[in-house]
Amino acid sequence: MRPSDDEIQEEIAAHLRMAIADKMARGASREEAERAARAEFGNVTHVAEVTRDVRGGLWLERLGQDLRYGWRALRRTPAFTTVAVATLALAIGANSAVFTVVNSVLLQPLPFRDPGRLYAVSYLPTDLPFELPPGVDDRLYLEYRQHVSRFDRITGYQRQDLTLSGVRDATRLPGARASATFFEVLGVQPALGRAFSADEDQAGTDRVVILSDRLWRARFNGDRAILGKAITLDGITRTVVGVMPRGFTFPAASQVWTPLALRLDPGNSFLFPVIGRLRADATPEQAKSELEAIALAMPPDPRAGGIKPVARIIPLKDTLIGKVRTSLLVLVGAVAFVLLIACANVANLLLIRAATRRHEMAVRIALGASRARIARQLLTESLLIALIGAAAGIFVAFAGVRALLALAPAGRIPRIDEVHLNGWVLGFTLVVAVITGILFGVVPARSGARREPQEALGQGTRLVGGSHHGLRSVLVTAEITLALMLLSGAGLMIKSFLMIRSLDTGYDASRVVTMSVNLPEIAYPDAARLRAFHTALLEQLTRIRGASAVGAVAFRPMSDVGIMGDFMVDGPTPLPHGYTVDKPTVSPGYFAALGIRLLAGRDFTPADRAGAPGVVVVSQTVARRLWPNERAVGKRISMQDQPGPNDWLTVIGVVNDVVQDAQLSRHSTIYLPYLQTSSAGFINQMTFVVRPQPAAGNLAPAMRGALRDVDPAVPAQALQTMDQSMMDTIAEPVFQMRLLATFACLALFLAALGTYGVLAYDVTERTREIGLRMALGATPGTVLRMVLGRTATLAFTGAALGVAGSLMLTRVLTRWLFEVKPTDPATLTAVTVVLLVAAFLAGLLPAQRAAGDRGLTTLLLRD
Amino acid sequence: MNEPRGLSRIELLQGTLDLIILQTLRWGPRHGYGIAQMIRASSQNVLQVDTGSLYPALHRLERQGWIAAAWSTSENKQRVRVYTLTAKGRKQLERERSQWEQLSHAIAAILAPPLRPSEP
Repeated sequence: MRPSDDEIQEEIAAHLRMAIADKMARGASREEAERAARAEFGNVTHVAEVTRDVRGGLWLERLGQDLRYGWRALRRTPAFTTVAVATLALAIGANSAVFTVVNSVLLQPLPFRDPGRLYAVSYLPTDLPFELPPGVDDRLYLEYRQHVSRFDRITGYQRQDLTLSGVRDATRLPGARASATFFEVLGVQPALGRAFSADEDQAGTDRVVILSDRLWRARFNGDRAILGKAITLDGITRTVVGVMPRGFTFPAASQVWTPLALRLDPGNSFLFPVIGRLRADATPEQAKSELEAIALAMPPDPRAGGIKPVARIIPLKDTLIGKVRTSLLVLVGAVAFVLLIACANVANLLLIRAATRRHEMAVRIALGASRARIARQLLTESLLIALIGAAAGIFVAFAGVRALLALAPAGRIPRIDEVHLNGWVLGFTLVVAVITGILFGVVPARSGARREPQEALGQGTRLVGGSHHGLRSVLVTAEITLALMLLSGAGLMIKSFLMIRSLDTGYDASRVVTMSVNLPEIAYPDAARLRAFHTALLEQLTRIRGASAVGAVAFRPMSDVGIMGDFMVDGPTPLPHGYTVDKPTVSPGYFAALGIRLLAGRDFTPADRAGAPGVVVVSQTVARRLWPNERAVGKRISMQDQPGPNDWLTVIGVVNDVVQDAQLSRHSTIYLPYLQTSSAGFINQMTFVVRPQPAAGNLAPAMRGALRDVDPAVPAQALQTMDQSMMDTIAEPVFQMRLLATFACLALFLAALGTYGVLAYDVTERTREIGLRMALGATPGTVLRMVLGRTATLAFTGAALGVAGSLMLTRVLTRWLFEVKPTDPATLTAVTVVLLVAAFLAGLLPAQRAAGDRGLTTLLLRD
Repeated sequence: MNEPRGLSRIELLQGTLDLIILQTLRWGPRHGYGIAQMIRASSQNVLQVDTGSLYPALHRLERQGWIAAAWSTSENKQRVRVYTLTAKGRKQLERERSQWEQLSHAIAAILAPPLRPSEP
């Protein structure tokens, strides 16, 4: 039978009673007997505790004792406990929230069968100035499909967006063309119906489609009878043969899959992504050499020139998450800084608390409690704080993940739909809590147990308090350093954001509403029909009440898509080598609608049509570059490599340069009129722009209506203002900026709190000293300066170290910075000032309190 | 109270307290106070066991299984924790006794005056 604490107490009580009874029997009075028995026995609490120490052989039992003791100790100091737990809850919660995303996106295996064996297969040149996504061309793919032996199977697919019409409003859906083997290679079968058959993967017999679970539920009410029914995609009728299981949206949030149905074009080849499932007994090296060998056995492609492709296989996961990895890792680093600051803060609080418990500890040591025992007790308390903080942190993480998902730029983070709090996150939180508890607890525990009893017991005579003084200063300095580094990162991102927002785009279009359309080939097979559509829609849009100008352009402003190329100049001066321009096709009125200024000549008119003399409008840079000292209007260029007499286009106008792509750079541009375009590929995607009158409301519904009037089967895309397009373009850096700014604010707050805590304690500890100084003639001003001087020492040291750290670390942000150097002096200065002001404010309160202390009273009251 | 004046308490050698407790319990079950009294009495008041050592020692011996403890009611109707020597404890006592005897013989031999002074 293992006695409890109560039993030990009872045993001791019985001992005392018997001793008292004996002494009274020998003639002592009750009082004498009691005093003598107690004196003989010694310290009851101590005996009980030492006995309990002997009993608690099982560490679990000891832990229980320590926890109970710790819990009581924490409840005795509710203010300390609340601040420590809240600090940790915020920091641990933020870490858990970021980890939740990292875990789901980076760490968890892909939701496919045995995903570790899935590889992206590529046979492409790798030494190009730009990076191609991994892929294989169609002929080689067929060859690979037939001959590879190191893979169980390989499969190809191609991203495609399709328009679903006939079921409520027409809508544009992300999707993919997929080989018959696509689902088998991934190891995911349709939940309903079947995958594509080999026959259906042939051109001509490929009128089938597989739906995602989400699309099936949202558009077809989850009706199982959908199998065998026909739906219309891009104007083509296809039979539904299957519905994928919930959550399967590969690649890239696909909602519909149609057969790849390769059609080889004798004059051209197409690249698309290819995935292989590596055989269990094959190594990636073997697979690579096999791919190389098969490719080399093919007849050489005369168009390849001197460029040498290389066979590569890349783990499928890397191809999916490669881009977000750095972004997420930066966030992990930032949020870890916050946790370190929180640790330093709580360690400081513990040191301060340890100082107030000096007496308690000294008594315990004097009574014989071992130092190890005291250290363990203090560490248990730290762990207890960390665990309570972590438990509260789970709730913070829960809210944090929701906020993260809400802030995350749509479509920029892969696997975002897989993000959720799970056992891994709970485990992570627990581990972080334990590490945190040890991290902030070990120093106070060691120094708490090291304390010499006589020193502490004689504390009544202390005049100048210096306990842990140096250690606390180091911790606060470290906090300030870390906070400044985070502030620098956030500051740079904010500055970059401001640079983008104040960027002179060359037009004035923040309120202009855009609407993009993709016209399917089946309904609009040639340029004439496309032109007719555009003309009709422009006509409808002009009639919208509140529209002051309308126009159209054959790409989406602020997107990555565009047409670039070279051209011929009429005259003696040839085109500068390697000079390429953007070649958007536009409608008359486009410049006015977007606010692009006409610098010379005229805009296109409806008269610049097929059959009329060919005309172009050039941007200012083109005019300056080609005809530096001449009038550009009237000069001739051609888009043909060997222009015939009718291929020359006359420059009729010059407009200012504009920013129109996602890189936010200004390109030389030559505008072509859509009415003279004979190539369907140049005008089958069009973005219509409508400039609202100053007082006009939301024009989007009217624009959608206009489109429906022209062709109800064509869905409106990117129906938004240019301002929103711009925000979409910079969504990723903005996301990064917001999170860094949040973490930096948290860090600043914690560092200020830490500074305040340490100074406030300093002042309390030095009350007698300050009182003495003031009694001896120091003015409140002197005292104020003394405390603020200490603040300044801490803040300037931390800030200097922080600036040094920032200069080394902010490089990782380069990718997201627009026209801001990672070492931007203005930003570093600004954040340093912010930090110093915060530290000053944190020091001001304790300083004022110190200066307000009345010297004599202090001395009298304390003694 | 009549304590012998000038006679300092003797600090027990490490481990000796265990032997004394076990030996004391050979005469029958006893509670902690009783054990302390008995040690004091049988050492003619020379050995006064510090309660801060006694109770931890009792609980340690109990954990080692050399003595067993049970709650019972004392002669004056007090609930007391009574310790009994176990079979295992009896064997341990034999071992410690013989060790002690060897040790005390050895120490006595060292301390005893030599028969004749050694010659240079």
